[in-house]
Amino acid sequence: MTLARRAAVRAARRPVTLAAAVCAIALIAPVASADPLRLRADALASTASPAGLLVLDTEAAVRAGVSAEAVVWMANAHAPGEASTGDVLVVAVRARMRRADARVGRFVATLGALRPEHVDGGGVRVQLPRRIDAEFVAGVPVVAGGMAWGWVVGSRLSRRIGDGGSVGIAYAQRRDDGMLAREELGLDAGAALGVRGDAAARVAYDLANPGLAEVALTASYRRRGLRGEAYAIHREASHLLPATSLFSVIGDVPSQRAGTVVTWRAAPRLDVIGDAGLRLVGGDAGAELTLRARLRLDDRGRSMLSGELRRSGVGEDMWTGARGAARIALPHALAVTTELELVVPDADRGRGAAWPWALAALAWDGGAWQAAVAVEASASPEYRGRVDVLGQLGRRWGR
Amino acid sequence: MTRASLALACIALAACAGVLGLRRSSLPEVFPHRAHVVAGVSCTRCHAGVDVPGPALHLPDDAVCTSCHTRPHDTRSCAGCHASRTAVAELVEARAHLRFDHARHAGATRGNCMRCHDAVAGDAARLRPPMATCFRCHDEARDARKCETCHRDLADEGALPASHLAHDGDWIREHGARAASSGDLCATCHDRESFCASCHGRTAPVLPAATRFGDPQRQSLHRAGFAARHALEARSDPGACTTCHAPDRCASCHTAKGVAGDGRGTPHGAGWVGPTASENRHGREARRDPASCAACHGGAGEKLCVTCHAVGGVGGNPHPPGWSSRQPLTAMPCRMCHPTGAAR
Repeated sequence: MTLARRAAVRAARRPVTLAAAVCAIALIAPVASADPLRLRADALASTASPAGLLVLDTEAAVRAGVSAEAVVWMANAHAPGEASTGDVLVVAVRARMRRADARVGRFVATLGALRPEHVDGGGVRVQLPRRIDAEFVAGVPVVAGGMAWGWVVGSRLSRRIGDGGSVGIAYAQRRDDGMLAREELGLDAGAALGVRGDAAARVAYDLANPGLAEVALTASYRRRGLRGEAYAIHREASHLLPATSLFSVIGDVPSQRAGTVVTWRAAPRLDVIGDAGLRLVGGDAGAELTLRARLRLDDRGRSMLSGELRRSGVGEDMWTGARGAARIALPHALAVTTELELVVPDADRGRGAAWPWALAALAWDGGAWQAAVAVEASASPEYRGRVDVLGQLGRRWGR
Repeated sequence: MTRASLALACIALAACAGVLGLRRSSLPEVFPHRAHVVAGVSCTRCHAGVDVPGPALHLPDDAVCTSCHTRPHDTRSCAGCHASRTAVAELVEARAHLRFDHARHAGATRGNCMRCHDAVAGDAARLRPPMATCFRCHDEARDARKCETCHRDLADEGALPASHLAHDGDWIREHGARAASSGDLCATCHDRESFCASCHGRTAPVLPAATRFGDPQRQSLHRAGFAARHALEARSDPGACTTCHAPDRCASCHTAKGVAGDGRGTPHGAGWVGPTASENRHGREARRDPASCAACHGGAGEKLCVTCHAVGGVGGNPHPPGWSSRQPLTAMPCRMCHPTGAAR
């Protein structure tokens, strides 16, 4: 089948998929009499593209142990980078039994250390004896604006450790047009180490083009108001591309990042967070430094001030930035918020020496109804100066 | 630091004590439970009816207090000063979100409240037993991860896990490693499919949940002026974008905005391709972040590479040393150079 033919078929299927999801929402509502139906509608309007976005989000317990949910979005203009004006994000039915749960529909499948995959299909998780869990997922990979011509299957076997940890092994294979596009093996482990420490690790190995795809390690320790965390990430971008890409052949430069994050509750209402790390990409090295402070102006944190200084990037892509944000709660469920950010790139390359960005918003949370209006102003490599107005209106039904 | 600046810092700290939450004298004090227990006052004398099922909170009113404290020192309500407001709020929340019945536990504990509420002995502000106390008896619910045994709705309750999955620090970076091993734990609160899909889904351009501009403290990868700095961030963290976005996302967006590609300009500056090493930045950049190249030159565009990078061509063998693959040579992209399916 030619690419043009496929595109035409995808375009033809899009309204069908969207209509099916809207019908699913309509069907869920009357069936869900056992438990209140939750429905949420959000409308986002902006003077910048996409000019309008409507999101319908519903969830209901169809009967004991069976629940359904759907999220559908529609835009009145083509969103940047997307070919469609509407699509289904999620439409899924989930059933829970005593030692198993199953789901079918469109959802994001997460199998341990492997990358999340958005699929149209089904999955089942079973609790076996000796605290062992088995999980299986199969379906068609979701692509924006239609359906892919391929399939993905995956499985994970894990064993729980203590109250908050487990170790697992996962495998997934994806084929596009019948050809191997991705085959990965993942190992994951995580556990609470006593009441103060914990550690987690994930490793993904590319079996199609043998080599490490991704490794992430993290360990943390907390004591009173202080929490320290060490992390390390190794990623080979070439192995994250479909194996059918030539770039999976020529790319073999890994990127690495390691550092430590310290969170300190300096005062009951003041948190200070520091992140110091090092980034290595293809022979270039760069520091990753962040200092962030957050001050709650009341005990519940309804009003809050925050500030952040950041130094990030690698080689010629390094930049320095500062950001401040405030949220002040007002009477009558109103809140005024403002954010300011200034980014100064090390090498401007004619794109401007500094990129300021600012936003001021007024938000109202009336329980069932929520609304916000904001003015955003910025200067960027794309626009010397730009002002946009954003509006958001949300309504919730049910709990 | 001079004495003057030290003094100034102390004055500033004192002035800000209220804002920082250091000065708490205006708040109600913790109720002296321990003193009452030591004095031999039974729990049910003040919390009468706690062992009877029902929606009541069983908090003592002024009449209960004045039955012993016959001459109160103030005309205001006792609870206004002698009870923590946050404790009362927690009690209300617990009643709304937890499935718990004191009456059913009275028999198992033989009427000894301290068996679960052992924090009373230390006059702690928070008397609700920790989950570990529940697990002393209800270990089956823990092993089966049946949170709904006690919690009606964790998402509405807003309870955060106390240890392993505390959402501190840079949670956006950390959550992947944690969720890999504890995805089912995450699902106890975030059990909706749309929670993961709102970021990792392939179909949505942007959802309001990810752009709550009325809540600037909400963590998000694309907050603030991300549009301006996205190119710097993408090149500094190769492969990160493709966690959520399709590899062709860059090209489709840039084409839609008319910024680059589509024959209307190129993002590559001078020295991108040339006869000498110093004029060949494209090789280094391609190996550093092949995803960014694939954004524009994916699919059929990859022919661009093999026109030079072929055995005997000016670019030489495209495979790095030690290259191996399980893909059949008749599949793309191998057949671009191996049309007969034979290795050369």
